[in-house]
Amino acid sequence: MTFEIENVSKIFVSNDSKEEVIALKDINLTIETGKFVSFVGPSGCGKTTLLRLIEGFENPTEGTIKDDGEIVTEPSNERGFIFQHYSLFPWLNVIDNVIFGLGINGKPEKENKKRAMEYLESVGLKDFAERYPHELSGGMKQRVAIIRSIINDSKSLLMDESLSALDVQTKHKLQKQIYKICQEENKTILFVTHDIDEAVFLSDEIVVLSRRPGTIKKIFEIKLKHPRNRDDQEFKDLVSEITEEIAEFEDD
Amino acid sequence: MKNFKNEYNKEMIILPIILIIIWYLTCDLFQLVPDFMFPGPTDVITSFIHLIVSGKLFKDVLETIYKVLFGMLLASIVGITFGILLGWSKRLETLCKLVISILRPIPPIAWIPFSIMWFGIGIGPAVFIIFMGCVFPILISTIDGVHRTDPVLIEAAQSFGASNSQILTEVIVPSSLPYIVSGLKVAIGIALMCTISGEMIGSSSGIGYMILTSTNLFDTGSTVVGMLVIGVIGIIFDYIFTKVQERIFW
Repeated sequence: MTFEIENVSKIFVSNDSKEEVIALKDINLTIETGKFVSFVGPSGCGKTTLLRLIEGFENPTEGTIKDDGEIVTEPSNERGFIFQHYSLFPWLNVIDNVIFGLGINGKPEKENKKRAMEYLESVGLKDFAERYPHELSGGMKQRVAIIRSIINDSKSLLMDESLSALDVQTKHKLQKQIYKICQEENKTILFVTHDIDEAVFLSDEIVVLSRRPGTIKKIFEIKLKHPRNRDDQEFKDLVSEITEEIAEFEDD
Repeated sequence: MKNFKNEYNKEMIILPIILIIIWYLTCDLFQLVPDFMFPGPTDVITSFIHLIVSGKLFKDVLETIYKVLFGMLLASIVGITFGILLGWSKRLETLCKLVISILRPIPPIAWIPFSIMWFGIGIGPAVFIIFMGCVFPILISTIDGVHRTDPVLIEAAQSFGASNSQILTEVIVPSSLPYIVSGLKVAIGIALMCTISGEMIGSSSGIGYMILTSTNLFDTGSTVVGMLVIGVIGIIFDYIFTKVQERIFW
């Protein structure tokens, strides 16, 4: 078992009006090691907040989050985090970005670079090792960001709408790469997305959150075999079922 | 990311050439302005050759640049260090804010009487005045740079387990670098101004001193040489910092 989320609520207090906003309410969820779990829900439902709480960027107002039995209070190298907008360090070239986390943890640079090159090759970016982030396309940047997190051998990977800014082709390609890498390394993946199709394509479980205050509405287990086919009737049915589940909140 | 590439190009030479021609026509050829009011280009060139041959110009220029760089170095060490600390700690910034706001608008020249009392004559007072003139722009732009560090980059580093000191050295410092350099670029211009004014009051060497003494002797040619040399030094410093800015593009 990797993550145990117990009675978690998060209340934000705005700076000027002192108004309280309940972002999440009474979230209870257990996520098992090696699972690929997606979080979907209407915009503003707190799915990103939940992911940030699990990483430890913020702490819950009530309740606890445990990672392998340990209460999460701050970010850790055990939990990789991939942001929506790549967040590469603009002053470092591609390879130095990739080995950033390894360097932080005091690993020897020469070995790091060798490993980084292997990873870069696996996503077709070997020739871009010396380039700087501003010279790359969005898809390339996100591949670098993904490798930068994966190379650290963290037990889990938290992805916050990491593919949402990309065009469809790049997105589909990256989804396959992510799935492949994660299968090979048996990581637990928590994946926040607003793209139901993407969630069904990748996930073992899909957690649907309700509108604010965010609560868990329903959990879908996706048992379709990999590699999944978007044209399968079963796939399509699932996508529309989950889409309807979310649309309920959007209406009123 | 700004484009600095077009700051220097060939077309820029046109206006200076036109101005020199007008200057030559009014002051030298038609003698519309008497020499003691403003010298013509031939006078200036003669003085320039004189000052070069005697080695005086070289010595004064070196003296002035030395003071500028020395004062800048001290101002950079203090300004960047405190800029990072104050940018990092909201409490420290609040604590220092009023003192900085009061000291900052004081023209560096106002420190001249005290600087002479404290540091006597020689380069001490000049370096002090340069320091007072430069430390605030460097401090303020460093604080600004730290504040403008993208919080997502800090979070990215945290997700790799970076400690606070690692975040400071690996994220905040490199991220603020462009702001620090533009602060230095502003400061070096101020340093030059402070040096010259300082040399005109409490000094016996440097370009400022040369300008003052030559005017007293009605050697206006040398005065203009001094003024133009300051301009040229300014351009060279500006060019160097522009080149540095081109390299740090983020």
